Amino acid sequence: MILIAIIIGCIIGALIGTNIPTIPYTYSGYLAIAIIAALDSVFGAITSSLKRNFDMKIFLSGFFVNAILAMALTYLGQKLNVDIYLAAVVVFVGRMFNNLGTIRRYYVEKLASNKIIAKAEAAIKQANESTTKEKQK
Amino acid sequence: MNKSKIILSTIIGIICMILVCVMFMQFKIVEETDITGIEAAREEELQTMLSDSKTRYEEIEEKLVETQQKIAEYQQKIDSNEQASELLDEELEQTNFLLGKTNVTGEGVIVTLQNNEEKDISASDLRTLINELKLAGAEAISINGSRVLSMTEIVDVNPYILVNEERIISPYIVKAIGNPMYLSSALSLKNSGFIDSYTKLGKTVEMKQEKNIHISAYNSSKNQLQFRYAKEVEE
Repeated sequence: MILIAIIIGCIIGALIGTNIPTIPYTYSGYLAIAIIAALDSVFGAITSSLKRNFDMKIFLSGFFVNAILAMALTYLGQKLNVDIYLAAVVVFVGRMFNNLGTIRRYYVEKLASNKIIAKAEAAIKQANESTTKEKQK
Repeated sequence: MNKSKIILSTIIGIICMILVCVMFMQFKIVEETDITGIEAAREEELQTMLSDSKTRYEEIEEKLVETQQKIAEYQQKIDSNEQASELLDEELEQTNFLLGKTNVTGEGVIVTLQNNEEKDISASDLRTLINELKLAGAEAISINGSRVLSMTEIVDVNPYILVNEERIISPYIVKAIGNPMYLSSALSLKNSGFIDSYTKLGKTVEMKQEKNIHISAYNSSKNQLQFRYAKEVEE
């Protein structure tokens, strides 16, 4: 159900995004930094849901507040003539990689544990079969 | 449980929608900005462009000033050329004047020499008179309407006198333009003056001052002013 919602949301968003009138190029830097912040929030949410401590409020607030804060910092940086958006990009992308690493490790571990379980089950099955055969004898 | 799941999935869907929407917007912007136009340029680019055009403007202004200076110089040259041509014109006028190519009028004296019963007037008399007049500063001289130039010959060809290849007869009217005082006083010196000495010799000489003497130009159709043998030497 959540997967369907994600797919539908993505499709609708793509349609709107391609048809909406574009904003001036001057502001595209802000938009880019907001996208990075939002993506970071999304990956954070995925990680936390895997760890089973996903909180909707934290995700929602992080999604919007991070984006807005990143844009505000970029604006401030432009006013101060310091490229603060670089710091924001570094932080957000670093966290994204962290989260992606966590996700990867989770799935690798899960796969490994699945294999062990399968092995154990096979062994149990074999043992069961051998016992039944002996009984028949 | 089911209701909360629906809410959750809607929220996630909306967030996905927003994210993807913004992302596609950004893609579109970046794609469109490949067509580099002034509207799409960043502020910094615009600033550099502005400063570029400012420097170019300054350069062009400098060039303009230079060109204007050049134009002024040329104008000056033209002016000086005009001055030079004026000078040339003046010189030409003077030369023409000197050569007797122009009709002239002015103050001067008229000397009339006449044959009488005893004595005829000879060419040498006229030559002497003209020399005297020249000495006294005559600017233009004519004998019986024939302009006297530097090349003018005055010779006896009996019974005429030849002036400028023209035959003239008595009375010989010599007109001279110049300072009338000088002219008359040079001619009428006591004893040694032209009039006195010639009247003593029994020749008829009359002189009168006049305000308005007209001396016509040299008749150049006689080709006396052509130089066939003398060539100019450049130094």
